[in-house]
Amino acid sequence: MARVKPPFATTKKGIAVNLGPDERGLLRTLLGEVRELLTTAPIGDPKLARLFPPAYFDNDEAETEYQRLMRDELIASRLDSIATVDAFLGDDKLKIVTFTQLDAFCAALNSVRLVLGTLLNVGEIDDDLDEDDPRHDELALYNFLSWLLDSAISALMENPHASNPHM
Amino acid sequence: MNTQGVTLVAAAPSTIERPEVEESISLEHPWIVLVWNDPINLMSYVTFVFQKLFGYSLEKATELMLDVHEKGKAVVSSGSKEKAEMDVYRLHEHGLWATMQQDAV
Repeated sequence: MARVKPPFATTKKGIAVNLGPDERGLLRTLLGEVRELLTTAPIGDPKLARLFPPAYFDNDEAETEYQRLMRDELIASRLDSIATVDAFLGDDKLKIVTFTQLDAFCAALNSVRLVLGTLLNVGEIDDDLDEDDPRHDELALYNFLSWLLDSAISALMENPHASNPHM
Repeated sequence: MNTQGVTLVAAAPSTIERPEVEESISLEHPWIVLVWNDPINLMSYVTFVFQKLFGYSLEKATELMLDVHEKGKAVVSSGSKEKAEMDVYRLHEHGLWATMQQDAV
C-alpha cells in the first residue's frame, strides 16, 4: 500500500486518525449497514451469526436463557460503539481520538469485519487476493478493515496505561 | 433472627431430622470459559481482548491467543457459573467465539 502514515498513529497531541473524506464516508456507510442489520434483522439471521455466538454447546435450555438475557445487551453495546465512531467520523475537524473513542473503533471495526467475513465465508488463508475471485472487491474491503483494526490495536497497545486499568 | 419460636422447637426435638449434607456443594466443579479458533478475528485483536478483559500480561495473553490459534481452543477463565456467564458475555461483546461448561474434574 502506498500510504506512509498508519491510519491510527501516536503523535505528541494524542492518537491521530489519518483517514481521508472518502475513507470516512466508506466506513460510515458500512457502520450504517451493520446498524440497520442490528436493529431490523430477525433472531437467527445467519448474517449476524458471529455477533451472537452460542454460550453453551449442549444445553439448549441454558442457551435459550442466555440469549434471552444477553441478546439485547449485545445489540445495545454494538450500537453504542457504532454511534461513537460514526459521530467521530462525521466531524471532519476531529483528528485526535480519545481512548474511549479508539476502543469503540476497535469494537465497531470488528463488528463490521464479523458481518462481512461471515457473508464472504472467509478462511484464514484469504490474505492473498485472487484477481479471478468473484469476491475480490469485498475481500479487498475486508482486508482494508483488518488493516485499520490492526492499526487501532497497535495504537492502543502502545498506550496501554490509558486504555486498561489492569495493565 | 426471630426467636419467638424457640420453645416450640425445643418441645419436640425427636421430630427434627438432620438435613442431609449435599456433598456436591463443597465439591462443586468450577465452570470454565473456552475461546474457540475462528477465521475472522485477528491474532492481535484476540490478544488485545484477553488483556483488556482479564488483565493478563502481554505474554500470558499472547500465549492463550496462540493456544486458540494452534490448538483450536483455550481455557481463558474459570470460576462460578455467574462469573463464567459474565466472562462469556464480555467475550461475545468483543466478537470472540466463547462458550462455557462445567469442568469435568
